[in-house]
Amino acid sequence: MKRDLMDIVCCPLDKHDLELDVDVEEDEVLEGTLTCTDCGETYPIEDGIPNLLPPDMRD
Amino acid sequence: MSDEADAETSDALAERRGVETEVYQPAEDSHLLAEVVVERVDAGDTVLEVGTGSGYVASSVAAETGARVVGSDVNPHACRQARERGVEAVRADLTEPFRDGAFDAVVFNPPYLPEEPVAARDDWMETALTGGETGREVTEVFLDGVGRVLAPGGVVFLLASTLSGVDEVAEYAGECGFSTAAVRDESFPFETLTILALHPGE
Repeated sequence: MKRDLMDIVCCPLDKHDLELDVDVEEDEVLEGTLTCTDCGETYPIEDGIPNLLPPDMRD
Repeated sequence: MSDEADAETSDALAERRGVETEVYQPAEDSHLLAEVVVERVDAGDTVLEVGTGSGYVASSVAAETGARVVGSDVNPHACRQARERGVEAVRADLTEPFRDGAFDAVVFNPPYLPEEPVAARDDWMETALTGGETGREVTEVFLDGVGRVLAPGGVVFLLASTLSGVDEVAEYAGECGFSTAAVRDESFPFETLTILALHPGE
C-alpha cells in the first residue's frame, strides 16, 4: 500500500485513525501493521495489501 | 424468468466458473459500469470501487481518467488480482474501513443474483455472485453505509439488474436518503442492466 492510503482508511470497528508500523518497504509498504489509535485493534499488511476486515471476518 | 432462461443463466455461470473459480472476471456488467464511470469521473477525484474483483473496472477508470482509484474486496484472491493489475487494493467489508467523506465517487457492481439454496456453494464465487434470497441483500447493506464515506458533492454508481429488481434497489436507495437517476440501461438476453447514479439528498 502507498503511505498516503493512510488519508483514506480508518479502523473498521470505530472509525478512529490508524497508526502505521512498517516492516518492509520498497516503493510502497509491503509488510507492516495498522493499529487503531483508539481501540488498539491491529490489522496486518501482507504483500502490500492491508487487511482491514474486522477480526471476526478474517480467515 | 422462465425455466428455460433459468437453465441458460446457470449454464453461463457454470461456464464462467469453469474458467475462474475464485475471482469474478470482467463480463458485460463490468464493461458497462466502467464505461459509465469513465465518462463521469475527473482526474482530481478519489474513487472507491467496492467489490473490485479482478480490478478491471478500477484499473480502467484509473487509466482513462487519471483519478485515484482504490479497490476493495472481501476476497483475498480478488485483492491480489486487483493489485497485480495495478489497483491500490484493500481487503475490506464494503465501505467499513474508509474515512468519512473520503471519496468523490463510489462504484459497486454488487453480487445480485438471487440465491438458489439447492445450488448454493460456500465459496468465493458464490460470494461474488449472489445477494441472498432476494439478490439485494448485499446491495442494501452497502446502501446503508455508503453515504458516510462520500465527500460533499459525491456520487455513487451502482449496477442493478432486472434479475433482482431495479425499482426495488432505487426505492431502497431513496429510503437511505439518496436521489436516484438511471444513467444507462443495456439489455441482454436474460436481464437488463441499469447503472444508477445516487446523490445524497440535502
